[in-house]
Amino acid sequence: MVNIKDLLGKSKVVEKAKPASKGGRASSTPKHPIDEETKPSPKKRKTDEVKSSYFKNKSTPRAAKATPKVYSVDSDTDLESEDDFKPDPIEVDEDEDDDFLANEDDDIDLDLKEDEEEDADDLVKDEQDEEEEEEEEPIVEKPKKKRSAPVKKEATPTPKATPKKAAPKSTPKKEAAAPSASTGGKSAEDVLALIPDAVLPEQDPEEAKKGFNFFKKAAAAPGSSGDAPEIPEAQPNCLSGLTIVFTGVLPTLDRDASENLAKKYGAKVTKSISGKTSLVVIGDEAGPSKVAKIKKLKIKAIDEDGFVKLLTSMPAEGGDGEAALKAKEKREEEERRVIEQAEKEAAEEEKETKRKEQELKKKKAETAAKAAASSSTSNGSQRLPEEPQRIIPESEKLWTVKYAPKDLSQLCGNKGQILKLKNWLNDWFDNAKSDFQNPGKDGSGIFRAALISGPPGIGKTSAAHLIANSLGFDVLEKNASDVRSKSLLNSNIKSVLNNTSVVGFFKHRDDEAQGQNDKKFCLIMDEVDGMSSGDHGGAGALSAFCRITKMPMILICNDKSLPKMRIFDRVTFDLPFRRPSENEVKSRLMTIALREKVKLDPTVIGQLVGATNNDIRQMINLLSTVSKTQKVIGSEQTKDLSSTWKKETILKPFDITSKFLNGQIYSPNAKHTLNDKINLYFNDIDFTPLMIQENYLYTRPTNVGTSMEHLERVAQAADDISQSDHINSLIRSSEQQWSLLPFHAVMSSVKPSMEIAGTVNQRINFAGWLGQNSKAMKYERLLQELQYHTRLRTFSDKKSFRLDYIPLFIEKLTEPILKYQDEGIESVIDIMDYYYLTKEDWDSIVDFGVGPSKSDNYLKKISTKTKSSFTRKYNGTSHPTAIYKTGNSVTGRVSGGGKQKVDYEDVIEDDTTGKDEQDDEEVDNDKIDAKKDKLIKEVKSKKKAAPKKKK
Amino acid sequence: MSKGPNAFFTNLFGRNLALSDHLTLLLGAKFTMSLWVDKYRPRSLDQLSYHPTITQNLKALASTGDFPHLLVYGPTGSGKKTRIYATLHELFGPGIEKLKIDVKTFVTSSNRKLEFNVLSSPYHLEITPSDMGNNDRVVIQDLLKDVASTEQVDFTNQQQQIKGANGSSSAAGSKHRFKVVIINEADSLSRDAQAALRRTMEKYSSNIRLIMISNTTSNIIAPIKSRTLLVRIPAPSTQEVSAVLSHIAKKEAVKFSSPNEPEINQFLEDIAHNCERNLRKAMLCFETISMQNESISLNSSNSIIKLDWEVIIEQLSKSILTNRTVANLAKVRVVFYELLSHCIPARVILKNLLFCLVQAVGVNKSKIVGELVSVGSVFDERLSLGQKSIFHLEGFAAKSMVILEKAK
Repeated sequence: MVNIKDLLGKSKVVEKAKPASKGGRASSTPKHPIDEETKPSPKKRKTDEVKSSYFKNKSTPRAAKATPKVYSVDSDTDLESEDDFKPDPIEVDEDEDDDFLANEDDDIDLDLKEDEEEDADDLVKDEQDEEEEEEEEPIVEKPKKKRSAPVKKEATPTPKATPKKAAPKSTPKKEAAAPSASTGGKSAEDVLALIPDAVLPEQDPEEAKKGFNFFKKAAAAPGSSGDAPEIPEAQPNCLSGLTIVFTGVLPTLDRDASENLAKKYGAKVTKSISGKTSLVVIGDEAGPSKVAKIKKLKIKAIDEDGFVKLLTSMPAEGGDGEAALKAKEKREEEERRVIEQAEKEAAEEEKETKRKEQELKKKKAETAAKAAASSSTSNGSQRLPEEPQRIIPESEKLWTVKYAPKDLSQLCGNKGQILKLKNWLNDWFDNAKSDFQNPGKDGSGIFRAALISGPPGIGKTSAAHLIANSLGFDVLEKNASDVRSKSLLNSNIKSVLNNTSVVGFFKHRDDEAQGQNDKKFCLIMDEVDGMSSGDHGGAGALSAFCRITKMPMILICNDKSLPKMRIFDRVTFDLPFRRPSENEVKSRLMTIALREKVKLDPTVIGQLVGATNNDIRQMINLLSTVSKTQKVIGSEQTKDLSSTWKKETILKPFDITSKFLNGQIYSPNAKHTLNDKINLYFNDIDFTPLMIQENYLYTRPTNVGTSMEHLERVAQAADDISQSDHINSLIRSSEQQWSLLPFHAVMSSVKPSMEIAGTVNQRINFAGWLGQNSKAMKYERLLQELQYHTRLRTFSDKKSFRLDYIPLFIEKLTEPILKYQDEGIESVIDIMDYYYLTKEDWDSIVDFGVGPSKSDNYLKKISTKTKSSFTRKYNGTSHPTAIYKTGNSVTGRVSGGGKQKVDYEDVIEDDTTGKDEQDDEEVDNDKIDAKKDKLIKEVKSKKKAAPKKKK
Repeated sequence: MSKGPNAFFTNLFGRNLALSDHLTLLLGAKFTMSLWVDKYRPRSLDQLSYHPTITQNLKALASTGDFPHLLVYGPTGSGKKTRIYATLHELFGPGIEKLKIDVKTFVTSSNRKLEFNVLSSPYHLEITPSDMGNNDRVVIQDLLKDVASTEQVDFTNQQQQIKGANGSSSAAGSKHRFKVVIINEADSLSRDAQAALRRTMEKYSSNIRLIMISNTTSNIIAPIKSRTLLVRIPAPSTQEVSAVLSHIAKKEAVKFSSPNEPEINQFLEDIAHNCERNLRKAMLCFETISMQNESISLNSSNSIIKLDWEVIIEQLSKSILTNRTVANLAKVRVVFYELLSHCIPARVILKNLLFCLVQAVGVNKSKIVGELVSVGSVFDERLSLGQKSIFHLEGFAAKSMVILEKAK
């Protein structure tokens, strides 16, 4: 261990030091050809070397600890050597020439200051410190202290950059402690054994905290007010092999941050506790079931401080523990595979390009020769790819094109579905022979078409093309860029459906093997759900094709649940593709990174996946973008990058609501600004207020003692929601004051949920207002109808009809039946006729009753027999009607004509429609004539005619 | 009226429903098909029993054969429409009762088709633009303009001139070359619709007369008010209501437990009082009472008919009073939704709930009552400013729970 003065002195020297260990490093990494290329400029290389030599000189475990593990080819168990050939890449970018010097000075100042502070802290600590870990405590505490001072400068405590700052600060005290912390031969079990168990909630939590709280208190002292979580530096991959579960609310770290931290150091983070869980980090308000499980399975539980301590004291690579070794092995295995894959691909590609070049040359010569002769190759689109076009060099291609999967094994995820599709396509012609009657093993044999559905960027189109190509099909693709209306589909596709491909004929015309003329065709309809209003009737026509096609069709869409996709439901073989998981993407991305000579930290992939929502295409695009400026992508950059990478995913109303109602975003250390909360609302401005309103009664707010307090909070929330409605009507009314929207966000969602945020007691309900509103609208319509029907007899408006008339009407219209059963029917019908009420009106009047006169109370008392005889009797006689829907009003004539217009576009193969229409019209005319003569007309026949017309 | 023109109407308009009307009148009380409220509705100005000065004024207006645009306002059940129709009867004769309902179709600016019912007689139209919600402007613009820009062709007049020889009928028709348009629920007309109305009222005043009916003038913009003659119809006094009821009682031969006249009158006045002097409600309640009892015992408790929705609100207030918890608030919400979806207006709910609460707390506890009323009025205002009634009702329930809990 080095004294601080030594270090300071050294670092100054080091800065100007010549590249010292370059050669040795290069030689120690024979398998790492990239290393050389990684260094973009001589300048960078210099600093790079400076760094590494600096670390070497220091040669303390601290340095090793500080260097985050970059993806390594031959992951060496030896800390020293690994450190050697893996210079901390960040330093290269981070401290480029100019600020290098400046930083240096800053650091010294800081260091001195910190040392003082630290001493003071130590004193405090010593007082507080009671038992044990006199030895270990400084190690745990050391990195925290380091971090606490620079907090002002870098609020997000990224683990990077500290080696330089941290190292010179080591005090004699640490020196003594260091060896025990960094012994490479420790296993996770050993370390864990040193960390005291967290007290499980049954006991007094206050008591439990006492032992550890001094960390927090001490850390908070230097003015950082404790809101910045103190994340220590740890050995790379130090948690590997551990399966960690986080539960409850940790005092300083928020859940995401702590999980990311654990992942960064190679731990596996799961949500639920199982036998495989190696430890649980427990916070406040941990669920009782989890606690019970912990007890049952006897799993080690630690609290946040314990976790911090674990991070600092675990040796790199997870120590010697069995699990850690296994995990490492696995990782190495994976890495090896990736490299093999990359090499193989590279080799193949080289071959391919060579072959292509040759072919091209050959072709060029040939085409030149033939150009004169064959001027009329009219096979347009199919031949295009064959034309010797401008060849784009590989390096200029987009990565997504360059690394598009070239064979089935390269597709990420959805292996099962891909296999199914392949089998289906393979057996297609066999099935065709049996006329698609034989379902086959997986039931796919009865389908002429397959429908692949899934979110964007997961390789649906790639899979379809690859499979079709691999089975020797010619692909005819139509996507959203083509107009796909019904008529065009009919003219273009329908003719194709029965054909065989002649491409094979032309393609192999020049080959010797002309015999194997493949005449298999495969139609791929991409972006089926993109068939928009422009593609009138296209979807219908397509689904009709699916029933009759003579060649396999593969349809691709994003969202199968859309109503317009429903017509494909039973005619296609459904193949839902899922987003590939992190593991499935990992090797592919690593391969690409390797081939592009970008250093990609495997732990970063998890973040990439999270940021892009498992969209492979976007991940590759992002890599491509980042690689333009950076050749090394470690977990350090991702923190900054992931925010910029973050695919703007629109949260679903349920997620928004649970975020709002969970107390977490309101807790002081959540770092969730008002704007963040408003943004939550903006994810869905229509649903969020409704969802909040629906669910705000069902929470148990944090820090609420009495039920009175709870009630007051709820009342306040209700008040805010009520006010927000006023704002909403200003926004939506004719005034259109959309600038009030953020205010509405606050009043409708942020403030109410702030009042009552806490634990949500039950499942989050869907906004009931919508259903209730449509119910109210329905009754409103019924009421309006009733009021109009009776209007000839009554003089009231709708409102008072409901309030005053309906209660009596209910009595009047049910009492005779209840009293005299069948005999009462006559008089009821008399009343109904007098008020021009129909049988439907009778139902709705009874339905209007609430409370004591709820419809059930009456309907139950009337026997089914009476009911049916009522209906029969009513239908048996003719009744006067109040409203004549003739449509021949002053302005109605034009629109009346429009009313009868039928949307033929969506009607498929229904030749009789036209005739029906005519018939209906005739009937209709008759009716109107009859009406002119007679006052009274049968209602029923009219009702019957109406729906037909609408068809 | 002679048979001639009647038959003519039947043929011409094809939808004349007056025939069955006459039948009912002929057959009289034997059939209890119609409710009393409709059966004993006055048809002409002479039959009106209360507010004699208003009746006089209307009569004078009608006798000139011309009248300005009217804005008739007053509480529900005070007889606004009855009075208007009586006036029209005076003006146009019995033809005004030959009502029919037509469905007209409109196309909104967003190309949505809307159906709209128009009640009409040869002399007038009755529309309720607020049925169309926010599209009421379209109705005003299209329909009204259309009607207004066509001149009234008076067939009656010609018919009568041809038949003029008998000359029995009044020749009033010839004088009125305008059509009357009754606009219901004028207070719920949107601003746009009211603005659209302004110019139409002046421009086509030679062809149409508007009669607007509303409960209050506060929602009606000043330009409209200034263009109309305001006619206020106050609610009848309890005595007037009871007079009407006793007239009905006599006609219907309602049996009371005691033949004592003052007692009966007192009972009927109780009904009038309980129905808040709403004549329609009073008549309907009276009929309900007589339906439920063979002979009505003159017990004052018997005079209170709680309608279905009133019962629910009362239960609601009890639950708020006794169980002031958040869990109960969730239950209260369900009841609110039930009432709202069954078309009970939110303001009616709020008002009744507040009155129930105040009554239960006791009017003498002025502090709590004051707080309750102030909270109630705040949310009442928000009800009219906002759109989602449930938010405000729930807000009121929550706030009043807090007040009650604190007062405990």
